Amino acid sequence: MLALSDYIFYFLAFTAFFSACSVILVQNPIYSALFLASTMVAVAAIFVSLDAGFVAGVQLIVYAGAVMVLFVMVLMLFDLKHDLDAFSPGILSGAFKLASVGVILGLIMGSIYMSADMVFNSQVTPIPATLDPVRGLATTLFGNYLFAFEVIGALLLVIAIGAVTLSRVRGGTHAND
Amino acid sequence: MGADKFEISVNLIKMAVIFLMMIQIVPILVWVERRGSAFIQNRFGPNRVGPLGLMQLLADAVKFLFKEEFLPKKGVALLYYAAPVMALVPGALALASLPLSPTIHIEPFHLFGQLWAGVDGKGYDFAFQGFSINVGIVYVLGISSLGAYSLLMAGWGSSNKYSLMGALRASAQMISYELALGLSLVGILMIYGTLSFGDMMKMQEAALTYGFFGQKFTIPFLPDWGIFHNPIGMLLFASASFAECNRLPFDLPEAEGELVAGFHTEYGGFKMLLFYIGEYGHMLVASALLAIFYFGGYNIPQWLMTLLPVNHIPGNLGAILFALLAHVVLLTKIIFFLWVFIWVRWTLPRFRYDQLMDLGWKTMLPWALVNVILTALWIFCAQG
Repeated sequence: MLALSDYIFYFLAFTAFFSACSVILVQNPIYSALFLASTMVAVAAIFVSLDAGFVAGVQLIVYAGAVMVLFVMVLMLFDLKHDLDAFSPGILSGAFKLASVGVILGLIMGSIYMSADMVFNSQVTPIPATLDPVRGLATTLFGNYLFAFEVIGALLLVIAIGAVTLSRVRGGTHAND
Repeated sequence: MGADKFEISVNLIKMAVIFLMMIQIVPILVWVERRGSAFIQNRFGPNRVGPLGLMQLLADAVKFLFKEEFLPKKGVALLYYAAPVMALVPGALALASLPLSPTIHIEPFHLFGQLWAGVDGKGYDFAFQGFSINVGIVYVLGISSLGAYSLLMAGWGSSNKYSLMGALRASAQMISYELALGLSLVGILMIYGTLSFGDMMKMQEAALTYGFFGQKFTIPFLPDWGIFHNPIGMLLFASASFAECNRLPFDLPEAEGELVAGFHTEYGGFKMLLFYIGEYGHMLVASALLAIFYFGGYNIPQWLMTLLPVNHIPGNLGAILFALLAHVVLLTKIIFFLWVFIWVRWTLPRFRYDQLMDLGWKTMLPWALVNVILTALWIFCAQG
């Protein structure tokens, strides 16, 4: 007999899976973005069920609450009917698209296959139960991985500058500013 | 949910009461707003319907129930109908996670000829809280940020240019001020060192104590509230919560002169009321957070405890009365801050959109960062 937590997990997993499939299957891009936001919320709920409350809250604040809102705002501002004209028809370009999808899928499957035994057989030292998980995350992130943290921050800054620069290129959205 | 029938039924009743609290505060708040704004503007408010105009809201609710229910011709039905319901969800979930009374312990007791003793015979622990989550504030911030979706769905589903512009402005304003809100809370989190609300309120019980390189100065007649330790954070948090609730002076999404009625232009009847319930629910959560972080929460002040000595009453009744008194203390603070929300609304003029964005990004965000640095220096000085 399944316990209540199992039912909750199946419900959340089904919601996440259904929303993620709907992102690519519905025709209206606004619905697509809203389904992606619903996927983020479902994943945050699964994080809570795994006792990772802080990660769930931060996922809601950053991903579902800011990033996806910006996505939906941008989709509402721009007229997307002409984007379908940019879709290139033809057998050769179709074959090229299938081939590139196959390459990406092969890379993902290969990396999962090759790292599977590392995931299942590794000796992971769990955090002691008395340590507050947020404190543990903070000491690990700002202690052991401080350099990686700062580098990722610098990378985000480069991305922001790059996005602003690209929109000012000739023919871009803000080319005449 | 609970170990046995008593606990399950108490939890269910609590959830219903907390949800109804959010909904039932709306008629009272709207009455306070209409009479209070009239008082500020030197006129009468509604005073015909019922004593002091208290039945005005009942009349309004009946009127809204009988209005025609329509969908704009080119409106997107799913988004149009889902948006007002989605407006209720963040407020209700955030309110359910706030502790509105301290946790009390109920000893095993006899009722209907049966001993109710809890899961291991030691009685029950109850708090007036829908569910307790130990990363409290991060969850509340995350859920409040989902309120932007109801605005966007309303704006798009109405298929009306004014609604869309209002919705885009409203959601841009909300995400800009979320940053200032979150960063202004970092100061108080650094001082208390914990994310859970109950622990924070427990640390605000004693008399005001400042540390300075190991020495401690105590001011006996003031409590150890958060505002005395982090005043800049309190100002930033209060201002940012005005923006989060779309209340004046950050009222541009509903600016009548420019956008007809913003994102709720095409909504009439009860759907409009649902947006109002969502907005007042956000106000309730923001006032509760102000009271919990900066003003001591449900801690019963010493003079009140000597006046009403509930901790001398033994047994379960004493525990329940203690929780009730603490809840009344918190409710008084919340009601005071709700009055401040209404007072500010009818006093200050509205910001222009570019002034609003400048304030959010160029003033409040740097000041929130300065607050973090100053708080860090303050903590360092306090411990020496």
